This record gives sequence, C-alpha cells and structure tokens, in this order.
Amino acid sequence: MAATKLRNVRSRLRRRLIRWSAFAAAVALGWPGSSEGPPECAAVVLPALSPFVALGSALSIRSVGILALLALPLFLLAWSVRCGFCRFACPVGLLQDTLTSLRSVRRRHWIGAPAIGPCLLIATATGAVLGHPLFLWLDPLALFAAWLNAWRTPIAWIAVAGGLGLPALLIVELFWPGLWCARICPLGAGQRMLWQGHRLVVRLIRGRMHYAGPETSCGADSSGTVLLARRSRRHFLAAGAGVVGAAVCRGAYGPSTPLRPPGAASEEQFGGLCVRCGNCARVCPSRIIHPDVAGRWSAWMAPRLDFTHDYCREDCHRCNAVCPSGAIARLSLAEKSRRVIGLARLDPDTCLMALGRECNACVRVCPYKAIAVDNTLDPFSPRPRVDLDRCNGCGACESVCPTRPERAMRVRPVDRETGDQAETQGAFFGAFWFEG
Amino acid sequence: MKATLTRRRLLKLLTAAGLGAPFATRVVADEADASIQSAPSPENIVVPVSPRDRYPAVLSRGRVIQPRRPLAVMHETDVLVVGGGPAGFAAAVAAARAGSKTALIERYGYLGGLWTGGLVLLVYPTHATEKGVRTKVVRGVGDELLERIARYPDAATNHAAGKPDPTTDPEITKLVMDQMVREADVTMIFHCWVADVVMDGNAVRGVVIESKAGRQAILSKVVVDASGDGDVFAAGGAEHEQRLHAVGLVHRLGNADRADLDALRAAGFKNLGEIEPQPSVRWINLRGPSTDGLDIAELSRLEIEHRRSIWQRMERIRQSSGGDKVFLLQTAPQIGVRITRLLAATRQLTEAEARSGVRPADTIAVGGTYGPGADNPGFAIPYGALVPKKLDNLIAAGRCIGVDTPMVEDMRLIATCLLTGHAAGVAAALAVEEGCRPRDVDILRLRQILLHQGAFLG
Repeated sequence: MAATKLRNVRSRLRRRLIRWSAFAAAVALGWPGSSEGPPECAAVVLPALSPFVALGSALSIRSVGILALLALPLFLLAWSVRCGFCRFACPVGLLQDTLTSLRSVRRRHWIGAPAIGPCLLIATATGAVLGHPLFLWLDPLALFAAWLNAWRTPIAWIAVAGGLGLPALLIVELFWPGLWCARICPLGAGQRMLWQGHRLVVRLIRGRMHYAGPETSCGADSSGTVLLARRSRRHFLAAGAGVVGAAVCRGAYGPSTPLRPPGAASEEQFGGLCVRCGNCARVCPSRIIHPDVAGRWSAWMAPRLDFTHDYCREDCHRCNAVCPSGAIARLSLAEKSRRVIGLARLDPDTCLMALGRECNACVRVCPYKAIAVDNTLDPFSPRPRVDLDRCNGCGACESVCPTRPERAMRVRPVDRETGDQAETQGAFFGAFWFEG
Repeated sequence: MKATLTRRRLLKLLTAAGLGAPFATRVVADEADASIQSAPSPENIVVPVSPRDRYPAVLSRGRVIQPRRPLAVMHETDVLVVGGGPAGFAAAVAAARAGSKTALIERYGYLGGLWTGGLVLLVYPTHATEKGVRTKVVRGVGDELLERIARYPDAATNHAAGKPDPTTDPEITKLVMDQMVREADVTMIFHCWVADVVMDGNAVRGVVIESKAGRQAILSKVVVDASGDGDVFAAGGAEHEQRLHAVGLVHRLGNADRADLDALRAAGFKNLGEIEPQPSVRWINLRGPSTDGLDIAELSRLEIEHRRSIWQRMERIRQSSGGDKVFLLQTAPQIGVRITRLLAATRQLTEAEARSGVRPADTIAVGGTYGPGADNPGFAIPYGALVPKKLDNLIAAGRCIGVDTPMVEDMRLIATCLLTGHAAGVAAALAVEEGCRPRDVDILRLRQILLHQGAFLG
C-alpha cells in the first residue's frame, strides 16, 4: 500500500517536472524578448507543433509543407500515450490546472455538458475542406503563442489585445474549472479521438486474434449504442455546420477588405486559416501588422496592415517565414516584393503637390520607383502618378504623405471597386474597441 | 597703387554706364552719406566713349578661338561671395561681420535670388523639434533678416514668437537685404555673371566676371560659391554631380481678395496659390517638368511655355464666376531652377546620417524639419559638406553643397540656405584671418564665432 502511494507520489512529481519543463520550453521558444534569444523564426515552432493547426492548414491549402513535420511529434505522442499531450506537454492546461489547484472550490457544474471539442474539430475539418477552417484559432498552442507575442517590446495595447485569448480561457477556468480542457479544446478532442483510434486498431488486431470473443457481447451495450448513435449524429451535424459555416464565412466579405501581409491567402480563406498567433506582428520590424480589432466577424483579430507610421520594407519578408498555418505564404524576398498587397491611390483633391506645394514626399520615398510626377493634365496641379505595374502596395508613400487627417496617398486593396465605402463593413466589433 | 587703379577703372565704368560721377563714387567707394544730395544734372548728354579693351574671338579654320588676353582687375577683396540669394546674402553679411573685407556679386539687380526674384515667398523650414520642443533653428543672420522684415507693415505673415515658416513680401525683403549688406560694409556688385575662375595651382584666387563693361577679374583670398548651380566650383574643376529637377515659374495673382476662391476651386482651379502678407496678392507655384536647369535652350523654351500657360490659365480664371476681378500681377523675374550641380564634398551628407540625429563635432548648422517630419529633430550639417574634395580656397553654400539626392529637397529650401550661407561666410572669414586653406579651418573657433553671431548649433 505504502509502496503504491510512494510510486504515485513519485510519478506525480515526475509528471509535474515534465509539464513545467515543457512549459518553460514553450515560453523560451515563443518569448518575443531580446535579440540574444532564439532567432525570430523560431516563433513559428510553437503554434506549428499543434497537429490540429497542421491538419486544418493542410486541408485548406491542399498542400503539406515542411512545417507539417513539426506537428508529427505531438501526433505520435497523442497516438501512443493516452492524453499524452494534455497530461505532459500542454502549457495552457498546466496554467489552468495550476489556477484550479489554487482554489478551494473545485465543483464541476458543467459535468453534464456535452463535449463540444470533437464537434469543433469536425466542423473545422469539414470547413477546411472548403478552404475555411472555422475554429483553427481555438488551438491552445496558438492562443499561448499569441499571449507570449503580446509582450513584444515596445508594448502596444493593440498587440496585447491580440493576446487576450489565453486570459479569457483562464477566466473560463475560474468559473468552470476543467471545462475547457475536457469539453471544448479541439486539440484535446482530437487527441482523444486519436487515442480511440489507437484503441480501435488495438482491439481490431486483438479481435482478429480472438475472433468473436466474449468482449463483443457486453452488458452495457444498449446504452453504449445509444450514446454512440447520439454522438455520431452530433458529429454529423457538426460536419454539416462546418461546411455551412465555411461557406458563409467565405462569402462574408464586403468591398472593404483590409490590407493583409504580403503573401496572405485570399481574403475568403484568410480569416479561417489565420490562427491569430501574432507571429507576423511580432517579427515585423516596421510594426505595421496589427490584429484587426475593427474587422468583420469572420476575420476578426486577423492581422491587417496599417501604414500610418511605417511601411512594408523592401528588405524584409519575416512575416512570410513565421506563419504556422499557411495564412501567409512562405515567400522568398524576391517573391514577396512581387506580391501585391494593394495599390497606392491618390486623392488629387488633398494632395499637396496638386495644390501647388513643394511636396514630393511619396515620389522620393517609393522603394520601387513606381511614382512619377505627372504634369500633363494640369501644369498647375501636377500630381504623383502611380505605375500600377511597379506598385506592390508597400505603403511607403502612404506613411510619408503629410496630409491629415486622411492621407492623400493611400494603399487600397486591389479588389475594391471604389474607394468610397472604406471601413464601413467592418464596424462589427470596431465600435466596441475604438470608440470606447 | 593697385587699389587706385581699380577705383579709376570703376569710375570709368560707371561713368560710361551713364551714372553721375558723385553717385558712382558713393556706391563704388562705399562712402555713402545720405546728407549729400546729387546736384541736378542735364539728361541725355553726350559723353566721350570710354575706351574698352578689345580681344574679340576669331574664326580660325572653322573654330571659334578666343585670344589670350590680360584681364583688368576690377576689385580685390578678402572674401568674395558669388550669388546674392539667401545663402550668398547670409555668407556676405557673416563674413563681413567676422571682420573680413567682403564683396558680393549677383547676376540680377537685387538680392534674394529665388526668394525675391523667383517669388518663392515661403521661408521654411525655420524650426525643428529639438528634445520634443519646436525650436527655431534659423538664428543669427537669417533670423535678424526675418525680424527686420517683419517690422515693416504688411511685410511678413506667420512671423511671431514660436511661429515657424513666415511668408515675406519680396520688395521689403530686397530692401532689408540691401540695408543689412550695406551696414555690414559688404561691397555689393550687381549685374555681373561669373564666367570663369582665376586659378593659382589648385587654389581659386578669384573669378572672372562678365558684364556690360566687358570681362574683368575680381581677386580674393577665399571664394564662397553661393551661385546655386555651383558655377564657381564647376569652373574650378571640382568634382561634382548633376541632377535634373522640375523647373517652373511662379506668378502672382492680383485682387485675390476680390475673388471668390471657393467658387474658383469648385470650377477646377485647384491650385490658387499661397497667401502673401498683402491680402490682395497670392503667389502661385508652377512646378514644371523635370529638366536640366543649366541648359539655356531648355530654360528659354520653358520661360516662354510657362508664361503662355500662366496667361492661358489666367484668362480662364477671369472668365469663371468669382474670378473676373483678378489679374496677373507678375510672373517671376527668375525661372525656378530647383537643383543642378551638387558638390562632391570632403564629407557628403547622406539622408541616413541626417536622420540619425547624430550631431558630429563639425556641425556648423542644424537644418529645420517640416511637413510629415516636423516632429523630428533638426539634422546636423557638417562643415565638410561645404568643402570640395580637392579644390582649395573655395567654400560652397546653399543648395549646391555636398549632399545625396534625398537631402537635396532639404538643402534647397530658403531657410536651410540661410544656414549654410551663414556658416560658409564665417568659415571664409576665419580662413582669411588664420591664413589657412578653408579645409584647415579650426572647427572649434568656427563654431565659436557662429555661436557668437547667434547661430543655433544644437
């Protein structure tokens, strides 16, 4: 008896040690700290470890990149050890368990609640087949990475806003301890399904060994079948919801698509593919990538570009290297500079040069020599003319344009027809964040 | 002996030009005394033709050959400033105040260059954001000039404590520049072009000028090239680059206060210019096409083309509702060349260095910031940017100093030209005083004198 107790204590200690080591490793990997730390491209590792992200991404973009290899260890862990990831590696789970252990009340009111996790997983997978994985952003590793990335220096409130997913989970944990892990987490659900698959395989092998053995006629069979039937119906509905949701999300973008990082997936996919880990915003040296707090619902908090203070530098393609889900394609510098973010467009009514002032800020700053002075229309109102074949929407012109409040030179998304209905579509969450 | 000769020649020249002898004496010998009234003299009188050295070029086997010829030395001085624009004006006043015998030559008949003659009336950037505070960087000679202009009624807008970038009246600007040059005891010589340099080995010892009086030489110990186009250093063989930029022509709208500007804007006249101290006048910038500002054929074409398009537009304005009262007051006497030659200096000022906020030990001026960069601190202009790589006895000032392409847009502005001119003038005076080459001037003393003269060095 005592020996068993001792063994239990020892195994618990060992587990705790493993979990905290994994946690420390995750923080070390994802911390956006100093330049002496791991190289910035290491940021991609943390969210890319998740098999859930790898699956959603591979189904959506219909290709398996080298990043998928990163998800293999956790896949194997979940396959071979029951709840291996949750019990040993998950940093979010560790934080939640620690939080709960600090509290005296550990009642689980939610115990009768259905498991949403598998439904989320299935809906995401079926949505992914349509190119829009619905709940990829619920991946705990991505949420954890986003929280770490919020602490890039200098700290900006908008970056912190992008990392609030984890604190939200912890608040859920305060009120419903264990609910997230046991019922909602799609990664955890996937892991449990994997384990069931493992068991099934084992049972099949065993079943083949003892053909029609006594295990097949079990007493609890009828209720088990009911449960199974209910569950499979639920899963079927989830799969359908995933398809419908993906279709709705893909259709739900208006004329005011925001500017996305270079190499971003098409707007109809982007909101689903992006896991909101904040890696791209973290590594951007210009600090022009922000979570889109005013964005439309299906792409809410996905990265958007803001050229108010800086532009997408011609010597940088870091965001292309750190996206774990393929929402931003892995592009070389040459490929990135050819990728069109948007196109610069001039408002001749406010342009200082057109008003006769000595301003040629945009002409001077354009790294691609895409802006020239056009004297032909009216020599008294010369204006910068953008060569659309050269412009890739890097925003250098917009960032230096001196007119206020609106810049005369602005980068507009390519697919937008007119510049008039700017930012009306995406006011869904925007009012809450901005005007508050 | 030499000086007597010079004066006699000058007297001759000015007599020949039809000016009365007492007046000529006053101006040339700089013995001005307002109490002396010139005696009434008959007009249109016959005087003997003044003899003039003749060395005409000859055609020799199809080539035009100019014969070897001696040049009369019209004037001899310590510091000769070429060009009377903002930079040349500041250089001449600063050099004279620093104790040097100074002469200033100018191709037109007034000071101010493109400010007054080009009618670019907005003086900017006069301020920069130093340590978070909008600070005046145009101090010393330039600031004194602006202050004195502003004392006249209706002479400057936007000129008050803490206010950046005034617009001044061109006539009062000319007037005050004249006053300051005279008070500083600068010998002012208008109406002559620099045709060449006088070289002594690798050093410039003066310039050859061309005027109605023919070709003459002016000798000096140091030359400040404030010609804007680097005419002197180019003639001296200094290494330089050249840029093309827009060449335009400013014009002025009269009766602007009796026009309905909003109606005109609505009618499609977007550019109705900038305000002037006189509310009835506005100056309108015409940017013009990018071209070579040294090509006189091109400049001639543009003068005609610009005046034509200005008049055309003026007619359309007058036919539009709200514009019937306005009239074309003036087109600028001087076409607006923005940049041509750039000196290859001992220390080329690059944009990266300028924006870095570093203030090197040889900072001789801090340039102002404006527009989108108004919140930035001023940029340091090092002395080395004014000094040619090899050519001696010459200091550049104004827009043609050694900077990279993006910095041109800062260096060519009036306020910045006032700064580099001020520094170049003091440096020239110091080189004369120390008897050294401009490149060997004691930077510490240069900065001391600049500070003493009120300059802002960060």
